[in-house]
Amino acid sequence: MPEPKAPGFWSELGQLVRAVGRAMGVTLTNLGRTPVTVHYPEVKRVYPDRFRGILALTYDKETAEENCIGCRLCEFICPPQVIKVEMLKAKERNYAKSFTLELYACEFCELCVQVCPTDAIVMMKSFDLATADRRELLLDKDRLHAIGLDFEPSWATGNRLRDMQAPPKAAKAEAPAGTRGEAKEPAE
Amino acid sequence: MPPLAVSAITAFVLLNVVIGLVTYVTLLERKFAARMQSRIGPYRVGPHGLLQPIADALKLMMKEDIVPTAADRWVYNLAPVVFLVPCVLIFATLPFAPTLGLADLNIGVLFFLAVSSLEIVGLFMGGWGSNNKYALLSAMRAVNQIISYDLPFVFSALIPVVLVGSLQMSAIVLAQEGLWFVAYPVIGQLGFLAFLIATIAAENRVPFDILEAESELVAGFRVEYSGMKFALIQLGEYAHMIASSFLGALLFLGGWLGPGSDVPLVGALWFLLKAMLVFLLVTWVRWSFVRIRVDQILAVSWKLLLPATLILLFATAFWVALRGGPGA
Amino acid sequence: MADSEARRVIEMGYGGNERLVMNMGPQHPSAHGVFRAILTLEGETVVAVDAVIGYLHRCHEKLGELLTYVQYPTIASKTDYVAAMTAELAYVSAVEKVAKFEVPKRAQYLRVLAAELQRIASHCLWLGTWCLDMGGALGGGATVFLYCIRERELVLDLFESLTGARLLYGFHQPGGTRYDVPAGWAQKCRETVDLIEQRVDEYEAMLEDNTFFLVRTQGVGVISRELALEVGLSGPLARGSGIDFDLRRAAPYSSYEDFDFKVPVETAGDCYARYRVRMQEFRESIKIVRQVLDGLPEGPISSRPGVKSVGQVRAPKGEAYSRVEGARGEIGFFIVADGGPKAYRMKVRGPSFSNLAVLPHIIPGCKVADVVAIMGSVDPVFGEVDR
Repeated sequence: MPEPKAPGFWSELGQLVRAVGRAMGVTLTNLGRTPVTVHYPEVKRVYPDRFRGILALTYDKETAEENCIGCRLCEFICPPQVIKVEMLKAKERNYAKSFTLELYACEFCELCVQVCPTDAIVMMKSFDLATADRRELLLDKDRLHAIGLDFEPSWATGNRLRDMQAPPKAAKAEAPAGTRGEAKEPAE
Repeated sequence: MPPLAVSAITAFVLLNVVIGLVTYVTLLERKFAARMQSRIGPYRVGPHGLLQPIADALKLMMKEDIVPTAADRWVYNLAPVVFLVPCVLIFATLPFAPTLGLADLNIGVLFFLAVSSLEIVGLFMGGWGSNNKYALLSAMRAVNQIISYDLPFVFSALIPVVLVGSLQMSAIVLAQEGLWFVAYPVIGQLGFLAFLIATIAAENRVPFDILEAESELVAGFRVEYSGMKFALIQLGEYAHMIASSFLGALLFLGGWLGPGSDVPLVGALWFLLKAMLVFLLVTWVRWSFVRIRVDQILAVSWKLLLPATLILLFATAFWVALRGGPGA
Repeated sequence: MADSEARRVIEMGYGGNERLVMNMGPQHPSAHGVFRAILTLEGETVVAVDAVIGYLHRCHEKLGELLTYVQYPTIASKTDYVAAMTAELAYVSAVEKVAKFEVPKRAQYLRVLAAELQRIASHCLWLGTWCLDMGGALGGGATVFLYCIRERELVLDLFESLTGARLLYGFHQPGGTRYDVPAGWAQKCRETVDLIEQRVDEYEAMLEDNTFFLVRTQGVGVISRELALEVGLSGPLARGSGIDFDLRRAAPYSSYEDFDFKVPVETAGDCYARYRVRMQEFRESIKIVRQVLDGLPEGPISSRPGVKSVGQVRAPKGEAYSRVEGARGEIGFFIVADGGPKAYRMKVRGPSFSNLAVLPHIIPGCKVADVVAIMGSVDPVFGEVDR
C-alpha cells in the first residue's frame, strides 16, 4: 500500500511519474507500429511447408493410379482410431476397398502420414473445412481423393519423414538466409 | 415561438447530438486502443468499422430483456433510468459556443458537479436490485470510490472558478481569452493533472476501475442487465465520461476559444476537439496500466489527492488575493 | 459439505460479522482454466478457500496404458498444453530410461532448443494472462496481454515451420525427435530470439517500476521457504521463495550440462519475486537457445527411426521415473513397463497440481483482488492438474 507521508515522499512521487511516463511511452510507440492483423479471409498468411492440415489420399503422379495399397498401417497406428480401411486384393498390387477417416476426431498428429509406405495419405496446407453438419467431416475415399486435388499438399510425406529420421547418407548442410518455410528435405 | 418551445426543441436536438456523439466516441476509443495494441479495431461493419456503433445499438435493442426472478423489480428496472438521467442532464449546462448552449446558468459549474454525482444513486440501485453477490460487492466498492473521488474532483474544478470569480461557464471561458488556465504556472498544470486523475477515478476507468474489474467481478453492477437497460447504462457511463472531458476542456483548455471562434460552429468544433483530446488522454492512461486494489484506490484519494487539491485551491486563492481580486 | 455451504447466501456469525460464501469459477475470466475456488469472504477479506478441481479430467493415465509408446507422445502434449514440448520430453525420457535407449547428440540438442523456446512462449502467455487478470480485459492488462501474445506468435510460427503444428506438436518420439530443422530455420530463430529480447525489455519498462504494478504484487501472496519445502513446490514458485533448485542443473538431462546458464532465485517469496524469476528465465532461455544454435552437431535425430508399426517400440520389464524442468515446475512421468509395446502403468506428476496445494495456506487473509494476482503468479495449467 502506498504510504505517501513516509520519508521519501518526493522520491516515490518522482518514481511514480517516471514509471507512468515509461509505460505510456511504450503504449505510444506501439501506436506507430503497423498492426499485425492478417485480414483473413481476403489475405491468408503463408503456411510453412510442413503445415499439418486436412488429410487426403493421393494418386501416383506418373500412372495416375491410387497410391493406397490398403495395408492398414495407418489404421493401426492412429491414436484415436479414426481410420478404417478394408483391403481389396488384386493381381499386381492391393487397393483399399473402403477408406473412412473421421476428421472430427482426428488429432492431426501426422503418425499415419509417417508410417505410410507408399506416401498415399498426406496432409494438406489448409484447414479450411468448417461445416455446420458434423457428418460432412466423416470423409470417405472419394472425398479424401477430392481433397487431395483441391488443396496444396504439405511437404511431409511418409518417405520424407522417415528419411529425415534415418541416419543421413552425407553431411547435412543448411542453406543460409533462406525465407521461412522453404523447408526442403536435408541436402544430400 | 414561445421560449418554452424553443428550449424544448433545442433540448431535443442536443439530446440526439449527445447520443450520437457518445456512440461514435466508443468507436474512437476502440480504434485508438486497438492501434496501441498492434491491431486494427472494428473493421468489417461499414467502411473501416464506421457503422459498428449502429450495429451495436441495434443489437442491444433487439436483445431479450431478462429480469432475474429474485430481483427487486422496481429498483432493478428504475436503476438504468436513474443512472442515465443525471449523466445526460449535465450536457444542458455546457456552452458549446457563445450562442450555442441550452442553459448557461450562472451557477453552471455547481449544477454540473452536483447533478453528475447523482449517478451514484442509480449505480447503487442497480447493484442492490440485481440480487447478485457480485453486483452488490461492486456497487459497494463503487459508492466508496466515487464518494472519495468526488471531493478532489470538485476542488480541482474549483481552481478555475476561484481564478475567475464566477460559477458561470461562459464567464470562465471568456476569462481564458488571453491565456488558457492550463498554462498558468504550476497551478494550471497541477490543477489540470488533479482534475484528470479525479475524472479517471470518478468514471471508474482503469487504473481505478475496481468497480467493474472484469476478471474478478465480471461487469460489476451491470452483470444482470441485458438488452436496452444495458444500453442505457453504457450510454450513461460514456455520456458522463464525455461530459467530464468537455468540462475539463472548458475549465482548463479554453472551451470554444481558438482561431476563427467568432463563428459559433467553429467555436463548437474547437470545443469538441479539445474535449476529444482530454478523452484520448484518459483513454491512453486506461490502456497502459493495470488496476490497483480498492483499499489502495481509497488511500490514493484520501491521503494524496485530497490534500493535494486542497493545497492547490488555497494556493490559488492566495494568489488571487495577492493579485487584488478575481478577473483576468 | 462444500456444496451446502455454497447454497447459503449470507451467514450471520454471532459477533455480528457477516460472512459471504462466494464461488469463483469454474467459469470465470481469471480462473486460468477450469478451477473452482469457494471463497468465504468477510467484507473484502478472504477468510477461507476451498479449491475444487477435476473439471478437466481426461483420463490421461488410462490412455497411457491403452496407447503404445509410439502413439502416446502425440497426446502427452495435452497435459501441459501451454508448454507442450516439455511435457512430451518428460514422457519420452521416461520411456527411454525404462527401455535403455540411447538418444543421439543432435536429438538432445534439438530437444533442449524446443524446450527453451517453449519456456519463452509459456512465460509470454503467463505474463499476458496475469496482467490481463490484474488489469482488466478493457484496460492496460489487455495491452500487455496482446503484446505478449504477439511475441508468442513468433515462437509458435517457428514451431510451425519445424513440426507443422502450432500448439500440440508430437515432436518427440522414443529415441529422439521426429522432425529436423528445415533450411533457413536457424537464421529465423536467431532473429526471433533477438526481437523477443528487445520486447522483454519493453515489458519490463511497462511494468517494472510501475507503482500500480508494484503495489499489486509486492507483499502479496508471500510463500515462506519453509512452506514451499513443506508443500512440495517446484519451478519458479520455489525459486521465488529462496529455494535454489533447478532440475536442469541439479539432475541434467538431455545435454543440459553442455550449456552455461544462470538459475534465477529470489528470496522475497511474494508475487513480485516470482515475476522477477520468470522475467530472468526469459533471458536465460534466450541465452541457451543461442548456445544451442551455435553448437548444434550433425548426426541422426533418432536412434529408433522410421517408425512403421504401432508396436515397434518395446520396453523390457522395469520401471523408471524421469523428471524435467517444465515452465511451471517439475514434470514427472513414472512408467512401469512389462515387456510389451504399452506401459503397464503410467503416472503423471503434474507440477501445477502440487503447486495449487499452497493456495489454502496463502490466500486466507488477503483481499479478493489479491486472489487473482496470486492465482496468476502460481500460473496453473489445468491440463496437468486434472490430467
